[in-house]
Amino acid sequence: MEERMRKYKRRKSILRRLSESPKAQKVETVMLPVAFGILVVALWQGKILHRLFHTDTFVLPVPTKIFGIMGGITDKVIGNTIDTLLVAGIGLLLGSIIGYLVAVIASFLPNMGKGGLTIVGAFASIPIAALAPVMNNWTKDVSTEASFRSMISKILVVLLIAAANMGLNAYRGLTELKPYALDLMATYAASKRRIFVKLQLPNSLPYVFIALKVSVPASIMTAIVSEYFAEYITGIGRQIRENIVLAQYSIAWVYITVACMIGIVSYALLMVIQSLVLKRYR
Amino acid sequence: MEGLTSTSGEIVAREIGVTFQDNAGRDVQAITNINMAIKKGEFISLLGPSGCGKTTLLRCVADLQEPTEGELWVEGMTPKEARLQHKFGFVFQQPVLFDWRTVKKNVELPLEMMYQTKKQRGDRAEKMLELVGLSAFKDHYPRQLSGGMQQRVNIARAFGIKPDILLMDEPFSALDEFTKEKLHEDLLRIWRKTNKTVLFVTHNIQEAVFLSDRICVLSPHPGRLSAIVDVDLPRPRTLEMKESEHFNELVKIVKNSFEGGSFS
Amino acid sequence: MKSTLQWLARQTWFQVLFWTLVLIGAWEAGATLVEMTKRMPANIMPHLYQILQAAFSGQEVSGGMTATQVVLKASAATLGRAFLGFLLGALAGYMLAFLMKLSGVIEKMIFPYLMLIQLIPVLGLAPIILAITGNINSSRLVIAAILSFYPVATNTLAGFKSVEKDKYDLMATYAAKKRNMFLKVLIPQSIPYFFTGLKVAAPMAVTASILVDTLQGDGGLGCILSQALKHAMSIYVFWLIVFFSAFVGIFSSILIHWVELLVTPGVVVNLLRKLSIGKEAGAYGRKNEKVQKKKKYPSSVV
Repeated sequence: MEERMRKYKRRKSILRRLSESPKAQKVETVMLPVAFGILVVALWQGKILHRLFHTDTFVLPVPTKIFGIMGGITDKVIGNTIDTLLVAGIGLLLGSIIGYLVAVIASFLPNMGKGGLTIVGAFASIPIAALAPVMNNWTKDVSTEASFRSMISKILVVLLIAAANMGLNAYRGLTELKPYALDLMATYAASKRRIFVKLQLPNSLPYVFIALKVSVPASIMTAIVSEYFAEYITGIGRQIRENIVLAQYSIAWVYITVACMIGIVSYALLMVIQSLVLKRYR
Repeated sequence: MEGLTSTSGEIVAREIGVTFQDNAGRDVQAITNINMAIKKGEFISLLGPSGCGKTTLLRCVADLQEPTEGELWVEGMTPKEARLQHKFGFVFQQPVLFDWRTVKKNVELPLEMMYQTKKQRGDRAEKMLELVGLSAFKDHYPRQLSGGMQQRVNIARAFGIKPDILLMDEPFSALDEFTKEKLHEDLLRIWRKTNKTVLFVTHNIQEAVFLSDRICVLSPHPGRLSAIVDVDLPRPRTLEMKESEHFNELVKIVKNSFEGGSFS
Repeated sequence: MKSTLQWLARQTWFQVLFWTLVLIGAWEAGATLVEMTKRMPANIMPHLYQILQAAFSGQEVSGGMTATQVVLKASAATLGRAFLGFLLGALAGYMLAFLMKLSGVIEKMIFPYLMLIQLIPVLGLAPIILAITGNINSSRLVIAAILSFYPVATNTLAGFKSVEKDKYDLMATYAAKKRNMFLKVLIPQSIPYFFTGLKVAAPMAVTASILVDTLQGDGGLGCILSQALKHAMSIYVFWLIVFFSAFVGIFSSILIHWVELLVTPGVVVNLLRKLSIGKEAGAYGRKNEKVQKKKKYPSSVV
């Protein structure tokens, strides 16, 4: 037994300490994805990706070519981007407001409200491809201007998706309160209005951002897809489609790149706004 | 302080120290210079306020964490060897039950890891559930049980693997007083029947006095062993003993043994 | 009488029924208005009974098939591919989450991109994917797979990460091998999260598949939809597809919820017990229900 009782004073090896140190971890977290990204772009530029997907540089142009072309048609790209952003932005804004109002009304109807929201939430699952043509038909008589009524129709589609998202989440924010919070308010003999302003409204703010995190990318996607069905030809999505039909793949890729960029930038913007608004919540 | 320097025993700790790095990279001493020797079949409590490193010490014994200094032996083996040989059962503060397994299947879990046959596992699990009085609930799911019942399942599971040593980390601290008393009695009954060595972490002085043979009193900042108190209450212990003069005396002794005086 | 009404108002099914009826009422009111004011009311908002009539009439609308036959045949092509793509995407998503859990290096390498792909309008890539694959069926499959892939991957990964430290410690005291850690803890615990991912993914896969149809004529749902819109066949086929695809989109989530209940340990047993042996088991059944409601998993992980 004595010889089994060997000393095992444990000092971690320098190497292990180094790789476990918080600093090294941080460097790894940044370097690894960057390395992966560079690898993919290199494979793409080196045309190895093309061999993998059995395609050619005509359908899938290399990155340098895409950016080269983008420089040549900047004005057109900006115009179409603005059109898409307007649809996505207005639809998102109006839809979120309407969704929030619906949630507020539902929270005041304790019994019937929840079932109503189940229905509202279901709207988010309706395929855009079915929704967009319906909205086109409904907005036929809104204006004689094709560009205007197309825009209204696209906004309505985005609005519906955004409202469904916001309604569900805002309702949760308005009703899932901290335990005893309502009891506390009752001991203050607070009116319904007071409870709403002092308790429910602030409580729902983080949930509003949960909804936005889903609906910001969703409304851009919806705007792009509803452009496919629109009467008037404009917007990033429509340009992707039209250029592919015309076999101008490199121009289509320019718009795809822009679409990805506005998706990422708008989300980053949302995160900044969230960190400012929700500063006091952590 | 009998047995403090002895090297023989079920669990032996010699000059154990644990230092960890905080987020700023500074070294923080959790426990330092802990010496103890626990005999086979003993019921030992590690008692102290939060931050005294009692859980850290227990985790070192269980090989869930490595001491940075000193030596530690469990049945003459390193903690790791003891763990690999299933020498101890561990009861956490939370029941740590698996939602998707029935009560019985939860008790069977460690036995599955020990390559027992289905029949062996089933028989053993049912026997353990009988011991903690939960036979009627074996096909229920954890979410259907109260907190006290869940902790019973946890205990049944720990005893199920027939460990030599039972390591318990504040197992009853989340329970109400009535449930706690009931479980104290149950634990002592099972302990007497099975003759295990128990290392019991708690911050409750009454609990430590009622259950233990000896109490290791730890003081914080840094965590260190400040006294070992022998509890000479007769066994089997009964709830009435808590009313006795001697019990209160022992509580007082323990209270006064904290370094820096009182326990608040 | 009053108490019955109050009881009804608290039932979810009744609420949903009530609001569905309200929606139908609103639609019919709109349809009546449209009928009186517009030149071609069927294009804008036909009465629901007209749509139903079109669905059940034996009248042939295209190639010797009735409207319902046309829709069903088209949906077989579209939804079949959507389903296959959904399965492939879900499988790939689970595998990736698994790999990420297995290796910290892979997780660090891929995770930011998994987040990025959620922000990219993948549906907008449909035409280019069609161009690359050159085949409507495989592009339906690929896009449905991509769209199903990332909700499943992110939610499953969140499921793996939801395993508490105590459970790792417990398994360590059992000297459990890595294989057992996965089989007995990580995988079972990730299942509810996996289903959350599936519930997000399913309507997306349906949407994607229909959308791809509209890009190229090949008899899918989206293709027939465009044709009906251009009055190549009865406009009611259009409305039939709109309602049918809305139904499929919504129902796909509900269906997955049912599958989840089926595989959740204890739920079916409890239901059977509740149905067969009255009181005693009923009490536990109800208790169970309550806890289940409390235990909401995040609707999606972002």
